Amino acid sequence: MKSSLTFHKVVVGILVLYLLIPLIGTFLFSIAGKWDHTILPENYTMKWYIELFQDERFYDAFKRTLFLIVMSVGLSVVIMLPTIFIISVYFSKWERLLQAAAMLPYGIPPIVGAVGLIKLYSGGPIPIAGTPWILIGAYFITILPFMYQGIRNSLHTVNAVQLVDAAELLGATKFQAFRTVVFPNIISGILVSTLLSVALLFSEFALANLLVGGRFETLQIYLADKLNSSGHLTSAIVITYYSVILLLTGTVLKLTFRKDKGPIMSDKKRILSFFKKIFRQKNTALEGEN
Amino acid sequence: MSYVTIDQVTKSYDNQVVLENISLTLKKGEFATLLGQSGCGKSTLLRSIAGLEGVNVGSILIDGKDITNLSPRQREVGMVFQSYALFPNMNVFDNIAYGLKMKKVKNIKSRVNKMIELVDLIGKEESYPHQLSGGQQQRVALARALVMEPKVLLLDEPLSALDAKIRKSLQKELKRIQKELDITTIFVTHDQEEAMTMSDRIFVMNKGKVVQSGAPSEIYTTPANTFVAKFIGNYNVYSMEVFHKLVRSSELKGDEVAIRPEVLQLVSPGEDCPDLQENWGIKGVIKDVTMTGNVLRYEVEADDSYFHVDYLHHRGLMFEQGSRVQIIVPKKECIVL
Repeated sequence: MKSSLTFHKVVVGILVLYLLIPLIGTFLFSIAGKWDHTILPENYTMKWYIELFQDERFYDAFKRTLFLIVMSVGLSVVIMLPTIFIISVYFSKWERLLQAAAMLPYGIPPIVGAVGLIKLYSGGPIPIAGTPWILIGAYFITILPFMYQGIRNSLHTVNAVQLVDAAELLGATKFQAFRTVVFPNIISGILVSTLLSVALLFSEFALANLLVGGRFETLQIYLADKLNSSGHLTSAIVITYYSVILLLTGTVLKLTFRKDKGPIMSDKKRILSFFKKIFRQKNTALEGEN
Repeated sequence: MSYVTIDQVTKSYDNQVVLENISLTLKKGEFATLLGQSGCGKSTLLRSIAGLEGVNVGSILIDGKDITNLSPRQREVGMVFQSYALFPNMNVFDNIAYGLKMKKVKNIKSRVNKMIELVDLIGKEESYPHQLSGGQQQRVALARALVMEPKVLLLDEPLSALDAKIRKSLQKELKRIQKELDITTIFVTHDQEEAMTMSDRIFVMNKGKVVQSGAPSEIYTTPANTFVAKFIGNYNVYSMEVFHKLVRSSELKGDEVAIRPEVLQLVSPGEDCPDLQENWGIKGVIKDVTMTGNVLRYEVEADDSYFHVDYLHHRGLMFEQGSRVQIIVPKKECIVL
């Protein structure tokens, strides 16, 4: 019993180490001065951070990325939440159609999608190619699978159809039923989908680069540009935006679950697995950029 | 004077008839059960009364008011679901108070507390549904429906998810609460024993139709057709032709004969058949004996037909497997269908 527990701990330890090493390496590199032939840097400096935080372009890129994310994720929640709710509660036979539509983005590589979008929107009635608006649209589609699955699964988990039936029999209108009974029970699911989408979009490069490129410099495009000048600086950027995401998600989660005494256990588990996903994503991003 | 009237209700999905011309009436305060196998339409009928499903033809009246086309919230019916459908984000008190809050009534607190007392959940007001046992969740669901003082209480297999012991005690309690509040109740179940124990009246359903209705003892002792006989009481059912051959007499006329397993008696072949005026004797061989605790069930083969014979388990095993016996069939217990 005890030895098997040790084994589990060792495996988890190795896994955590494996996930953390790239992050620690990046962090060290971002504060390293000279680091050529030693295991740890020979001296440390904050000059990369100082340089970064004095760069107006960095702030602008950060703001643009935030703007894009808030717009596309916000739009997605506002449109998809009622859609999925109405379809799964009242038109369940159309659910397969919606599911297929929501899964389509997986089938289209970003490059192909981008080329198609540019062709379609460079002329015609909606000439938005090259503007941030096309990127918001593309991002809406990109995160559709996450939003759809997250919201649909939470609706099914709480058995939303029956909760609405029960609430209606107790005198609630359909809207009241949704607001008082369904929404509070799926909010954590929505939140997880939202955070997952935010994390995904923060590190999105291909669509941003192809659709708007330098005309609307996002964080990732700025990062790619800086890659040519200094590895230390790019490390500092990565660490900065990673910290921001962590702070952001941590705050939102804390605010949401502080007063929730109810089904918190299962949520905790889901959030843990969610953080693991972020970790993985960040690390793959780092591997590509250094 | 009927309180609930269901008048020629028919419903079909995609050309498949789920409810076929159903008519029934209930008196105020009656405990009625819709009994049938899964897929017989009993739950659909209940959901139609609740307004969660529409009907194609026919009308539903409660207390003289036609509610066929009203939305669920306007019908003044309460319902308890099989999976309870408690609101996970609310504690026991808020779950029970939900309907009253929606209706914006006064003195919610005292009404909810009274209900909590009635279903014996004092001390659990602050608990959330996931912290309660199945039986307790069931009580909350019941209280939540009852606090609205509905005209009719609908129960959709509310006890089927509970283990046998809790089910038995909740059956009694449900019946007690129902009598105490004198509330007209429609109960759906597939368990004939549960139906017998609880109901004032049973409506046996099969393939979207009510095939027989009546008091529990009436349904049990005089089944109207083969389906009811087999479903309700494990009756032995034989075609008339086979039965004539078995008893070597063509006294009975009809299509089929049904005999309850507990009215049959077994005697050794040497013993005389008691009173041939009143009984028939059939020779057979014991094929199997099963014991369900208080009941011994013999399976007896006679001329390629099988008889189930039930005995109360007080004398131990009377006949071993393979022994020859005579089955005594009381003539007046043979029901011709």
